[in-house]
Amino acid sequence: MDEFWQQMITGLATGSVYGLLALAIVLIYRSTNVLNFAQGEMAMFTTFVGWSIWQWSGNYWVMFPLVLLLAAALGAFIERVIIRPVEWAPTLNIIIVTLGLFAILNNVATWLWGGIPKGFPAPPEIHVVGIKFFGEGALDIGPTVISYHDLTILVFAVGIMAALYLFFQYTPIGLAIRATAQNPVASRLMGIRVGRMLTVGWSLSAAVGAVAGLLIAHLILLQPPMMMGVLLYAFAAAVLGGLDSPVGAIVGGLIIGVTENLVGTYTPQEWLGPDMKLTVTLMIMVLVLLVRPTGIFGRRTLRRV
Amino acid sequence: MKRSRPRPTGRLVVFALLAFFLFWWVPLSHVLPEWVPVSFGTYRTYQASLIAMWAIVALGLNILTGYNGQISLGHGAFVAVGGYTAAILMVDYNWPFPVTIILGGVIAGVLGFLIGIPALRLTGPYLGIATLGLALATPQILKKYDGLTHGTQGINVRTEVHDQVGVLRDFMHDVFHLDFNNDQWIYFLALFTAVVMIVLALNIVRSRIGRAFVAIRDSEIAAQAMGISVSRYKTMAFAISAFYGGIAGGTYTQVVGYVSPESFNFLLSINFLTTIVVGGLASILGSVLGAAGLVVVPELPGLVSFIPGASLPAELSWAFYGAALILVMIFAPYGLAGLFHRMMRIRPAQLLRRLGTVYESGVGALRRALASQGQSGSGPEDRSSEDRPDAKR
Repeated sequence: MDEFWQQMITGLATGSVYGLLALAIVLIYRSTNVLNFAQGEMAMFTTFVGWSIWQWSGNYWVMFPLVLLLAAALGAFIERVIIRPVEWAPTLNIIIVTLGLFAILNNVATWLWGGIPKGFPAPPEIHVVGIKFFGEGALDIGPTVISYHDLTILVFAVGIMAALYLFFQYTPIGLAIRATAQNPVASRLMGIRVGRMLTVGWSLSAAVGAVAGLLIAHLILLQPPMMMGVLLYAFAAAVLGGLDSPVGAIVGGLIIGVTENLVGTYTPQEWLGPDMKLTVTLMIMVLVLLVRPTGIFGRRTLRRV
Repeated sequence: MKRSRPRPTGRLVVFALLAFFLFWWVPLSHVLPEWVPVSFGTYRTYQASLIAMWAIVALGLNILTGYNGQISLGHGAFVAVGGYTAAILMVDYNWPFPVTIILGGVIAGVLGFLIGIPALRLTGPYLGIATLGLALATPQILKKYDGLTHGTQGINVRTEVHDQVGVLRDFMHDVFHLDFNNDQWIYFLALFTAVVMIVLALNIVRSRIGRAFVAIRDSEIAAQAMGISVSRYKTMAFAISAFYGGIAGGTYTQVVGYVSPESFNFLLSINFLTTIVVGGLASILGSVLGAAGLVVVPELPGLVSFIPGASLPAELSWAFYGAALILVMIFAPYGLAGLFHRMMRIRPAQLLRRLGTVYESGVGALRRALASQGQSGSGPEDRSSEDRPDAKR
């Protein structure tokens, strides 16, 4: 039983990272109907920037907010300069543009920082009223132990989810973004700056993705191709949860993360096992999609003649 | 009833261009070997063969995505099926290569049909990601079930096409005094396959089936109302498309001579989609242009070094490729084929007139610049009367 809980916890932690990146994907998809293939590379790039800042300042908590700001700026820049000219092009064209962006970011990161994997720090520990947060080591929770970094990831995922919920529900700008996603034409008529909202959406998405990058970089070493696998799982998570549902993204991420771990552990080694965990996980995703073609939380699209 | 036919000149130009793109490499390397580096010959031949192979996949994917509107990010899987079928049958069972290529296509087609059935329920990005799952699973499956596929080490296939075209070889030797080496024969094999598949595709898209595909893409409900069986034609599109993928896979095995699980990773599948969008969706010409573009563009940074004084860091070649993709999408939203058709619409006289306007405005701007430099104190009135050429017209 211990092993089971261990796998569950690990699955939930990696699943949260998938969920965060899936959330970033969903934020962009909701407003522009575009699958952003460069999402993972944007996160990788900002994580490298974070590494440089950390090297320079030596302080994790200086680096963290700075990276989020820079990521937001990067997202805004990409939306204004690269996505805006193809805003009205067919969806496939915009997907190809994000693939081009993928190539550029990946290549420039390799060029600037080199391909050698680098260790990335975990958030250092903080003591608040005698309780330890973040840092190294593991916490004993009954049936199993949970490492502090896994706990950090879970806390961040839940925290970001809650913050985004409050942002979208209770701030005027959040409302404006939701309105833009639902009906851009009507929103523009109501005086919402639709273009600006799209820029804000990309900034937000890039920042959320950056958190995913910063958190996973400690688990898998920091290197240019590090987000490729994560991105694919994040796509699976976003689709599983429903591409227009932020809650679905996180839930989908958790499901994918846990499934992946359990499949790797509990399926027969001879013909499935850890080598095939990606395949089996994706197969399960497809099976779910066959029952619910727009994901678990996705809005059904009504077709009108 | 009189059928409207495409203008013969337009088609002639299209096919001349096709022939040029598929042919120009080999004659160049054959006729002018001293003009180019030593390795040019075989490498360019190999590249031209690859273009032919990519064109076949692009045609199939374009039938599915461009004409039928179903996105697939998993065509690498069908290419892998075709490639492995050819490799296994040739190496382990000593089958002749033409049979293995066709059989690879048929097996991939059946697989495509089977995948097309569940794909009926999915649309747009959901279908895209589900098929991306197929592309991701392919290398893992190939590695895991190594009894059949030889596992991670892959299969080496050395096709001696040279030895199997006896009559044709003697004919070329006796009549034209041309002796092709094995690579060149493989190139002609790939080219022949590509031409057959192009003609087949042209016929499919102009037939009842092709029109049904387009009708379904534009509106499933309207197509249904016209009596088109949506599910039948959508699975058919998947099967045809996968058949193309399988044929391309068999060609790949002959051209590259080696298949391994990593030859068919998911980036390959994504590149196929890039090929047809860059080339032009729902365009046969676009598929071929896209294939040529995708094989050639990554090399362009290297070509820059031929210009004296110019250089581009070699490490940035992939970024260059990405930038090229973005620029094509911004300036040619209908792909290279769209660009081509737009250029075809320009009449020579019109072009001359336009060039004249550009020239005049250029001269005008120059004169204005000179005038403002020479007589900086002059008022706006005499500038406007003197420098605008169109004011006199």
